[in-house]
Amino acid sequence: MTPEEQRFLLVGAGLFVLGAIGFMTRRNLILMVLSAELMLHGVSLTLVTFGRMHQTNEGQAFTIFTLTVAACEAGLALSLVLSLYRKSHSLDIQLWSELRESDMSAPDFDTSGERGKLSSYEDIPTLTPAGIVPKDPPRTTASTGQTATRA
Amino acid sequence: MMGWIQQHPMTIVGLVMWAVGILWLMPGKKASKPRPHTIGVLIVALGLVTFCLSCGNAQSELADEVMFWVFAIGALMSGVLMITARNPVYAALWFALATLSTCGLFLLQHAPFLAAATIIIYAGAVIVTFLFVIMLAQQSGAAGYDQRSNQSLLATISAFVLLGAISLTLQSEKIDIIRSSLDVADSSGASGAAMGNTGAAMSADLPSADVVPVLPGNIMSKADAKHPVGNLKGLGKSLFGDYLFAVELAGTLLLVASIGAIAIAPRREQGAI
Repeated sequence: MTPEEQRFLLVGAGLFVLGAIGFMTRRNLILMVLSAELMLHGVSLTLVTFGRMHQTNEGQAFTIFTLTVAACEAGLALSLVLSLYRKSHSLDIQLWSELRESDMSAPDFDTSGERGKLSSYEDIPTLTPAGIVPKDPPRTTASTGQTATRA
Repeated sequence: MMGWIQQHPMTIVGLVMWAVGILWLMPGKKASKPRPHTIGVLIVALGLVTFCLSCGNAQSELADEVMFWVFAIGALMSGVLMITARNPVYAALWFALATLSTCGLFLLQHAPFLAAATIIIYAGAVIVTFLFVIMLAQQSGAAGYDQRSNQSLLATISAFVLLGAISLTLQSEKIDIIRSSLDVADSSGASGAAMGNTGAAMSADLPSADVVPVLPGNIMSKADAKHPVGNLKGLGKSLFGDYLFAVELAGTLLLVASIGAIAIAPRREQGAI
């Protein structure tokens, strides 16, 4: 391995580690998704460097698949984040820590000085009861882009 | 291990300074006033330069050297500032800068198509989507959870132990042995395939018995003198020759993911966001 390749691999490893730190420490849902994308950048750089080391295009072909998966992941993760935000009106990951197993201890979060904990189970998603097909909800003016239902 | 520490003091110093800078910049466990930003950035920059200097001198051309330094420091520094940003909008913008720097590194690694595709997909689509979601989920004022982090000391220490282990592995001599065996296997595999007796050529050319023989890779993905690595024609041959089914599968994955995103995303009529 030449020093040229070695330092590209080290930069890739550094990007991966930075993303890992961000994913573990930050409490904002959006920042966690962004950190995962940063980890994918590190992996892509490493794949490209490996492909060049072996004089083959396979590394770059793999990176294109990584890009595809990253795009899918970003779309799905952001729609999940929006859906969670609608339920708890906050992007804090802590509000969803009650989803843990019942015999696990609570995570060590510091909540002093924050506004009171939101009850995130107000409108928990429920399955549609089987049987009669439910009617479509009445169309409001929201379809025209107006948010008339906002309180 | 001790020998490695004595041989690479600059790597250790760079890693430690880098970690200290991240801890300095990271919002603490308790809500507090942010520490002086400039000092943290300086510590991280010094650590980064020390770490990259310890990677060895590539002795390439001056222009390549300068570009590598700009892009590598830019990518890592933007990454640090992204994970320590207290405002998610700034984090998204630092992520865009990290993406651009990574694309520059792709260009230096003879991957121009990948660089263009990454810029189009990330800067054009992903960042914009992130910014839209940040705007949709806007909090009034600074949110409390952005001013705090969760177990930053433990996470930073464990992550940098991982990075030190990767550096140790990359700078050890075992990697060179694997590399030389790969070269032998590649050349003998190519010549053996032409002659039709791969096994005999490989066993004859191997320098010693303890080197692991490696099978040659996919034929269509090999780079040759006419189509060097990163050549668009060669990359297309690899994608639509060796990986045709995987390309179809990736297209299906995109379709399923878009359907899933539409299904998961909240409807507008049911509640204002």
